Amino acid sequence: MQTEELIAQLSSGLTPVRRLPGPWILAVRWLVVAIAVIALATAAFGLRRDLAARLADSSDLRQMIAAGLAGVLAAISALQLSFPDRSANWGLLPIPATGFWVGDLGWGCLRDLIESGFDRMNLETSVPCLAFILGFGLPLSLAMALLVRRAAPVRSLPVALLGGLAAASLTNVGMMMMHPVDAAATVLAWHGLGVLITVGGSALLGPRVMGSP
Amino acid sequence: MRWSALMVAVQSGDERAYDRLLREILPLLRGIALARLRDAAEAEDAIQDALLTLHRVRATYDPARPFTPWMAAIAERRALDRGRSRGRRAAREVKVEAAEHIPSPAAPEAERGLARAELRAAIGALPVSQQTALKLAKIEELSLMEASARSGLSVGALKVATHRAMRNLRKRLGALDATSCRPRS
Repeated sequence: MQTEELIAQLSSGLTPVRRLPGPWILAVRWLVVAIAVIALATAAFGLRRDLAARLADSSDLRQMIAAGLAGVLAAISALQLSFPDRSANWGLLPIPATGFWVGDLGWGCLRDLIESGFDRMNLETSVPCLAFILGFGLPLSLAMALLVRRAAPVRSLPVALLGGLAAASLTNVGMMMMHPVDAAATVLAWHGLGVLITVGGSALLGPRVMGSP
Repeated sequence: MRWSALMVAVQSGDERAYDRLLREILPLLRGIALARLRDAAEAEDAIQDALLTLHRVRATYDPARPFTPWMAAIAERRALDRGRSRGRRAAREVKVEAAEHIPSPAAPEAERGLARAELRAAIGALPVSQQTALKLAKIEELSLMEASARSGLSVGALKVATHRAMRNLRKRLGALDATSCRPRS
């Protein structure tokens, strides 16, 4: 088919479209959904009893802030990149906070392993933990997918990766507020696995979602 | 500035503005595609991909921002994708030096030419989505994921469009078979 013919076919029967809100507005919408999911989960499962004590521990507070910051920045970054004319540099925005968060998670895991040994690698407590992480991450990932589905399939993979990272990071914050198990090496490892599954799943399915009309 | 105003009219469904805008940006799209792809036919396909993507994501254009970078980003990406998929196709192809010694098919050249023209006309009569699906999935042999990314159609829509295109072609060519005065073996 000739390009001129394609132009004629595209323009005939053109339907009006509602302009997509800008990336900042979309980011705010996603954060509202994320806060609602965390609030609902808190209402259903309750806050962990020792939350105040854990927050007094600077390492837990530091990790929660880093995860929250990584989530918010990754969401902004994903939504900026979903618009074709936004700078690719937006992709760099969540890297420092994510690096700090993942590094801290890994270091905590390693330290716990050295202190407690492999005896605390208990799969029974870890599988529900993973299910909790994924159950939390799924609505956040779906909300992100809904927001970017009308975006341009121009940078699908980075958008999907960053969207998954945003969902996984805020899931981690929710987990730290609610999960009753101590931050043992196993739990931290499962947190990491949950993040990988959420981000990997988004990277795999995200481009398909963005390809839909 | 004028393109931006035309694009705003496009978002509210103005067909004439769209036709005008696409024809006016065509030389720029062509320039971007040719800068990335040396082959003119590949470049033309990249332009068509860019037009299809632009059509699909026209809601993402923000009139407060300049139009050209928005359009150029789409054209650049589609040209890059086209270049990558050509690279992958080239890697799969094997040069057969003895190809020239392969005997030509039994049908005479004139008859094969006629069949080609019939096929081309039948494809040309298909709706645009079916033509796109057929071109990407059957002629260029892209995976459904690649074809989806290129065309902006979902994998499901591509499957349906390809299936319908094949069915329509069969129907049309079968009907031609039945009505044609030219005998077929």
